[in-house]
Amino acid sequence: MGKKIRPFRFMECAVLPLATGISAQTLRELRSAVRGIPDSSIYYHFWGRMIRPHISESEFNNDFASWVNNSIKDIKLAEVLSAINPEKFQKFNEIRDILENILDKRLENEDFLSWKKADRNFYFISCKKLMFKTNREISKLEDLPYAVKKASRQSFFYHFIDGRRRSPECKDDFTQWLEQFPDETDETRKKIRKIDSYLFSLEELKEQIASLLEESFGREDGEK
Amino acid sequence: MMSDILKQYAEVVGQHTIDSLLAIAERLKGRKIIHVNSTRSGGGVAEILSCMVPLSIELGLDVSWEVIEGDESFFNCTKIIHNSLQGMAGTLSESQINTYNETNRKNAERLKDILQDADYVFIHDPQPAAIIGMIPKKKGKWLWRCHIDASSPNKSVWQFMKKHVSAYDASIFSIADFAQQLPHPQFLITPSIDPICEKNMCLEKAEILKTYNNLGIGTDKPIILQVSRFDRFKDPLGVIESYRIIKEHVDIRLVLAGGEADDDPETGEILSQVRAAADGDPDISILLLPSDSHRTINALQSGADIVMQKSVKEGFGLTVTEAMWKKKPVIGGDVGGIRLQIINRFNGYRVQTPEGAAIRIRYLLSHPWNITKMGENAKLYVLENFLITEQLRREMTLLISLDGKGRGWERWI
Repeated sequence: MGKKIRPFRFMECAVLPLATGISAQTLRELRSAVRGIPDSSIYYHFWGRMIRPHISESEFNNDFASWVNNSIKDIKLAEVLSAINPEKFQKFNEIRDILENILDKRLENEDFLSWKKADRNFYFISCKKLMFKTNREISKLEDLPYAVKKASRQSFFYHFIDGRRRSPECKDDFTQWLEQFPDETDETRKKIRKIDSYLFSLEELKEQIASLLEESFGREDGEK
Repeated sequence: MMSDILKQYAEVVGQHTIDSLLAIAERLKGRKIIHVNSTRSGGGVAEILSCMVPLSIELGLDVSWEVIEGDESFFNCTKIIHNSLQGMAGTLSESQINTYNETNRKNAERLKDILQDADYVFIHDPQPAAIIGMIPKKKGKWLWRCHIDASSPNKSVWQFMKKHVSAYDASIFSIADFAQQLPHPQFLITPSIDPICEKNMCLEKAEILKTYNNLGIGTDKPIILQVSRFDRFKDPLGVIESYRIIKEHVDIRLVLAGGEADDDPETGEILSQVRAAADGDPDISILLLPSDSHRTINALQSGADIVMQKSVKEGFGLTVTEAMWKKKPVIGGDVGGIRLQIINRFNGYRVQTPEGAAIRIRYLLSHPWNITKMGENAKLYVLENFLITEQLRREMTLLISLDGKGRGWERWI
């Protein structure tokens, strides 16, 4: 008897930004605020950018790096901050630690840029993330490509971007589901794993994943 | 079965987006939602509501839209409040405060029965903000939706408004820069445009040319257009200054098209200043269009080469969104919500001065392939971020979030 396949249930999500009332005008103020901001603010400034207006050509991978580049004009520091890969950290405090370490190191220089007032303040934004089930589910491998293609941006964000954050091994939800078909999906999972989510817009990522799945095990008639 | 209107939206945003909206709307079934603002036509708020309310109804929500009534003295007073919240100097006299409160009281009396029974009430902008304190038995949640650039408000006027606004369960601002110290959650939701309405639907080239012809505007030279109310914050005089600089190098036409709004008493004064600055130049067309000229505005935007929105203060700038939707690169003031829409060199340029606008326009006119590329980027950017379907999704989830008992930031609903 064949192994029972767990269906893939598509979820929807909404990330609602909220003003925190906390802002920074200098690197020192940014450094001081990092410890006290809510976890959802760290989430919003690292992950949330993927689901709000942004372009894939964005030079920097998180809002801290973008602000340091655009408003403080400290390109070197912006590059260092941009290299933080949030997927590596399981706890928000670990991201706070690394942000503080980088900023502390920079502030040790005590040069002009370390106390320069920004052209525009950095506004810390927190968020509420609401998730809900839909009635869309699939159980067959060949139905996945079409289902991903037809998923909303928010649903794709939840399963791919947020999925990687939720998984201790940084595996998105699609990959985890594909593991039920170990032999047939091994190559595809490796390819998905290699996709750098920070170099593309959400739509581009969705297209990439959908085409990859389509090439591997798609069929014309798609979703049931 | 899906209605024709939803099918039209699905053609633009995809069936998956509509399915997702229907699923969210299902969670709000049976709840009464009311929007209250100060005008049925003219200006961004009225335009958003005139498409959001029908779309919400199509999704199965129980939504209605009420408009407050006021006389000239009330709207003169609310114009001062509006300008002061956008940073202009000024105070409200005692008689103006009385006018504001009294008009709100009369409207509260008129709307009391429906407002007190509503599950959710959206009050838009400062004009009707005081109504909340005049409805004795409120059943539902009340939200204050601020559409204006309140990043550096005049302190005394903000203190006056804050007393009213603090009573709400939550407020909504377009961007973080506008949020204030308030004792309730402040959500950030950008406004949006309706892709299937008369103002934003795709027009035939013949209709576009006919519109220009009917308005007496030649299409023999590149056309630079700014569409906005004749309001000092939209800087129409700065636009004319840019035009004069460009004109020294390139032969262009400038079109300044503004609508009338029932709640804006300043239009006449600014319009006179604009006419004086144009000084009879035959290549400058100044159009004061009725507030329902959506198709004309659409044709003007569709036929322009480059669109300007040189605001010095801007809540969001829906005219920027509209032009981007029509594949136009936009040269906009580096303020407010324009910062969220225009990404330098990607879909337009943000500028600080008339000189800055002039140099960017001259560059684009001499590199027309960039006009095409930026225009395409602009449309895609609006499709992904600033359509009414996206705004409605956020607002519906916001309402659902207000009902939650849980304190965590991640919640299953």
